[in-house]
Amino acid sequence: MPARHRVLIIGKGDKPGKEQEYLFEAKGYQIISSPTFKKAMDTIFNDPPDLILVMADMQDKVELEMVQAVKGGIYCAHIPFIIALSREAISTGIEWEQYPVDDFISKPIDYTELFARMSLCFERMQRVFDNNPLTRLPGNTSILKTIQAALDAGEEVAIGYVDIDNFKPYNDRYGFSRGDEVIRMVAMLLTNILRETDTRKVFAGHVGGDDFSFMVPSDRATQVCEKIISSFDALVKNLVDKDDLKRNYFVARDRQGNEQHFPLPSLSIAVVSNHNNRFRHYGEVAEAATQIKKHLKSLEGSNYLIDRRKPSD
Amino acid sequence: MAIEWDEEKIAGFREKLRQAKALPTLPGIVSKLTQMVEDPSVSADRIGRVIAKDQILAAKLLKLVNSAFYGFPGRISTVSSAVILLGFNVVRSLVLSASIFEAMEKTVVGLWEHSLGCAAIANVIARRLSINDPEEISTAALLHDIGKVVIRENLAEEAAVLDEAILGENISLYEAEQRILKINHTQVGQRLCRHWNLPDRLAEPIAYHHEPKKSANHYVSTAIVHVADVLVRARGFGFGGDKWVPALDHNAWAALTLREEDLPGLIAEAEEVLVELRGFSFEIQTLGEKCPPAIES
Repeated sequence: MPARHRVLIIGKGDKPGKEQEYLFEAKGYQIISSPTFKKAMDTIFNDPPDLILVMADMQDKVELEMVQAVKGGIYCAHIPFIIALSREAISTGIEWEQYPVDDFISKPIDYTELFARMSLCFERMQRVFDNNPLTRLPGNTSILKTIQAALDAGEEVAIGYVDIDNFKPYNDRYGFSRGDEVIRMVAMLLTNILRETDTRKVFAGHVGGDDFSFMVPSDRATQVCEKIISSFDALVKNLVDKDDLKRNYFVARDRQGNEQHFPLPSLSIAVVSNHNNRFRHYGEVAEAATQIKKHLKSLEGSNYLIDRRKPSD
Repeated sequence: MAIEWDEEKIAGFREKLRQAKALPTLPGIVSKLTQMVEDPSVSADRIGRVIAKDQILAAKLLKLVNSAFYGFPGRISTVSSAVILLGFNVVRSLVLSASIFEAMEKTVVGLWEHSLGCAAIANVIARRLSINDPEEISTAALLHDIGKVVIRENLAEEAAVLDEAILGENISLYEAEQRILKINHTQVGQRLCRHWNLPDRLAEPIAYHHEPKKSANHYVSTAIVHVADVLVRARGFGFGGDKWVPALDHNAWAALTLREEDLPGLIAEAEEVLVELRGFSFEIQTLGEKCPPAIES
């Protein structure tokens, strides 16, 4: 029998009674309850459920912000949220852009309908999330679409390509599961830094392997790059063994199979700016970035370079 | 008054530790942070710097980022790294969902000040010795007595008996715990570190700050926390639970390669930081008095 889905029910008001609990059981769901959002946060972050059902009226601003925090991070965004609403709330209208939930059900709850909606939620999540399974960041198709849309709209955006220097030897020395930690770390810091730097349109994607891409308004590019690099350099210390950290290098085999000293992993960020609508097509962006990256790769440590050339240059 | 601690009772307490619920934080810290997270211009870094002054919130953050779910079990050892990885929104939610000490006892504030002072002095020593990551050592020092908080919070009755024994028999808290509970705060801390997947770099100094020689892999960090603990107790900053200054382990002192003539400079530098902390502590206590529990459900 497959593992049961764990459903977290928040709110005391219209909690399902014993009879409904049996229904949940019969459908293969295990219920965890929490009277308030505040009390539920620990469970959500530490031991995430498979689905969250909100019975309480989300009147409190703080509660709404907690939902936004869960849905806004990369790690819990995939947990489906269903909220139960009164007829009155539905008829007065809901500002859905404020409510990052996946579905709703009207009160009093028809449990047959609820279960149908719950299975639909799980199915939909499967479809929507064809993101990178390791980092849960959007992959190539979304990257291309997002950047092309910004170019078409003539937005002043900067597009960055991030890759990890000495990633392959790190992987060989420490094993791929620790290599994955470095990749996941870059994904998390990229997402967080972009979101904290600008509330306008920002985007982070995972090209694959140790390559990432991001988009940010042009005037923030320098700030974002500096923050990414200083954060990475501080964080990477946590992922290198004590002795290697002390020596400031590690020993691994190079591509020819010879033992060699490698510096600790660092980042290279190549950024191109769509200044004066310099680019028409995504392919031109990628090509311009590749040239910069070649130069960056020859430098030691973490570096970034922002190319602000105009079309005539 | 005597409490019989048999095997069953110890096993019960260990089970409690395994499930250790959210530990309470000082009301003043929670008020300050709540104000900060409401202000859109406050950065995650600044919030992180305040969280790094509270053993409970710092532990909560480290526990979360080291959980298997986030994918870095046993790796992240500093509050600033945890803040970057979790992001502003998660940190903010953690602050808003923090529980606070219902009744503020003097000992609670004292223990917090002691931990804060120990973290500051450990940082001064680590910088003097040009240690690679001084923040990691201050984090270990901040958390070194977390076991004491857990004992006070989970075993109120026993905590009163411990206090009685300390005064009545003129023994240290460490000895009293050993005799009455048959488990001391360093062992409690060690267990918490294991349940919370904290890195060995933090766990060893927490577990062995009374017996640095037992530290196998992180002896220098452990020795620094040990020496900082002794110094902060000798200076009389905060309250470690009893009036005694723990005995200095001379090997640990020697391992730090500090000479006796380095001491005055070190103390002067530490003193400056402690004066600053005194001001911060005053601010926190005033905030705690002014703002009654703001968000308790």
